[in-house]
Amino acid sequence: MTEPPPPSPTTTQETEVSPTRSVLTPFHGYFREWSVAVALVSLLVVLRFAAPGFYQLQPLLSLLTRESPTLVVTAGIALVMICRHVDISVGSVFGVCSVVAGLLWSRHWPAPAVFVATVTCGGLAGMINGGLVAGLRLPSIVVTLATMVTWREGLRWVRQGEFVNLPENAQWLGLAQFSGQLSLVALSFLVFVVIYIASEYMVGGRYIYAVGSDREAARLAGVPASRVTFLTFVLLGVLTGLAAWMGVVQSPQVDPKAGAGLELKAIAAAVVGGVAVSGGRGNLWGVFVGLLLLVCVNPALTHLHIEAHWEKAIQGGVILIAVLADGWRGRFR
Amino acid sequence: MSWEATSSASPQKRVVHHARDRWFLKHEAILVLLVLGEWFYFNAVGPRFGSLDNTFDILRHSAEIGLLSLALTPVILTGGIDLSVGSLLGLCAVVFGKLWRDAAMSVPMAALLTLMVGAVAGSVNAAFISRLKLPALIVTLGTYSLFRGLAEALTRGVDTFTNFPAGFLFLGQERWLGVPAQTFIFVTVSVAVWIWVHCTTHGRSFRAIGFSFEGTEYAGIPVRRRIASVYIAAGVIAALASILYTARLGQAKADAGTGYELYAITAVVLGGSSIFGGVGSVHGSLLGVLAIAILNNGLVHARQPREVAGMLTGLLLITALSLKPTFEWIARSLNRRR
Repeated sequence: MTEPPPPSPTTTQETEVSPTRSVLTPFHGYFREWSVAVALVSLLVVLRFAAPGFYQLQPLLSLLTRESPTLVVTAGIALVMICRHVDISVGSVFGVCSVVAGLLWSRHWPAPAVFVATVTCGGLAGMINGGLVAGLRLPSIVVTLATMVTWREGLRWVRQGEFVNLPENAQWLGLAQFSGQLSLVALSFLVFVVIYIASEYMVGGRYIYAVGSDREAARLAGVPASRVTFLTFVLLGVLTGLAAWMGVVQSPQVDPKAGAGLELKAIAAAVVGGVAVSGGRGNLWGVFVGLLLLVCVNPALTHLHIEAHWEKAIQGGVILIAVLADGWRGRFR
Repeated sequence: MSWEATSSASPQKRVVHHARDRWFLKHEAILVLLVLGEWFYFNAVGPRFGSLDNTFDILRHSAEIGLLSLALTPVILTGGIDLSVGSLLGLCAVVFGKLWRDAAMSVPMAALLTLMVGAVAGSVNAAFISRLKLPALIVTLGTYSLFRGLAEALTRGVDTFTNFPAGFLFLGQERWLGVPAQTFIFVTVSVAVWIWVHCTTHGRSFRAIGFSFEGTEYAGIPVRRRIASVYIAAGVIAALASILYTARLGQAKADAGTGYELYAITAVVLGGSSIFGGVGSVHGSLLGVLAIAILNNGLVHARQPREVAGMLTGLLLITALSLKPTFEWIARSLNRRR
């Protein structure tokens, strides 16, 4: 029983595509992505009138900077989910990578070396997950559950909840705060766009979709399915390492609890953005919009004078509404 | 499944098949050995480990996670998953505290209503999963966030309920007939769930559903209703666990039971259930809970930090999972050589 059950024959929901090209042609097949985009835009419009304070440059930039590591991780998670797997260990790996980066930095390693070491650390963690999932064909949710607990508890054991103090020049890489924030946001967008292009137009990216839709069929068609799965997990690990590095440079200290709950945020963003857990479906720009929607909930609450305690409940509600919409459109049937 | 598939194709089919049925190759037997091994090891290392007091301590502390894994066993048998049980525990604890303190209800009445809240929350999951046929992982991820968020919203994130009456705290902190009081509830629920899953037609269909959803549907079993019942039961049991949790700690907060779902899933999978459904047993899950509880308690007695226990649990889970594929791989290559 190491193999997931074969996907039930799904009927594509876009049977009603009109034969004539119309203005609506680009919307066909992207119903979900566009509806999330509409939701996001209407939230932004409501905020425009109800809370003009939301649209100030500095708070908005700070928000984007804070969420830029999440954006990078979400791109990787989306690919793993398109490949019909899931990884819930990213939060723990993020924490481990952050602490590694912090420790190296506080021992005065040069910044590029810290960067390489952090990313390598994430890649190694991804290789462990990928090896167990692709090599031994173990279910990814259980494997990453185990690695999640192992990394998190190991980190707590070694550090005992102690913060790591970074040297002076580490924060914003020695840049001024504004340009530091701007470059982090730009970096995360760049990574995201590269992954988007790779997933849409490059062979490797299409292989991920192929393996996610039907692993056996993809294998018979000549796709190295195990290797694709393995490399997808390694890519997620590398991206998590990168994200951890991007998180570390934002503050003068490294929190050993960094990344707690990150996995759920990233998975939620992917789901809201239209990635199906049954694999092979979804695309990255939808995920991007989904993440923006989730991220805007919290500042929207403060600006609309709703208590912040409702944040989690509302995020849960957004996820449920998103899958509900899928249910009505018969996407999972 | 791949085991049977390969063996049926080869003349060694019967040999392999019989070997698998032998009791000492069963997953539960290996777990019993693991539990015994842990027991003897920690007995040798920690002088107070084997005492009756400590045994009861282990029982007391494993009651809530034990209940949650009892709730999750039928769910996982049908091939589903429920990530929301830990959050539901938190929500129910808060609801219980609110009903008792703010609505001034008696403890039994509040407990009864809390169980009903658990049933309602379970039916939310059930409606999404069995009615709308949405993937359980995502639905319960949503309710995981929703239930915890409601608990935080109800308490504004800070409110804590304490000063429960002594008669209620007895349930969680005292002994009755020489045994921790909550053991009676835990054992009753265990036996009930065991009978439900293993001895009734209703419960035995869970395996069939997990093994083959469509096949079971064609066999005339009301699959959707069966799946709904599993999630509703999980909600009720999580509510029961919240009451035991509140009684044991003497306080109810919004963060009650954070991360419990992961430990419960770990216990169930360690107990031999396949996450894809169709394989597993209630006694296996209970042994899984026991193995984790003894490891946690024993390491404290062996003067190891608490985090080591968590780490070892994760490693244990990976080892337990990789054993079978590795053996299968060896068996396959042996078969091929003959």
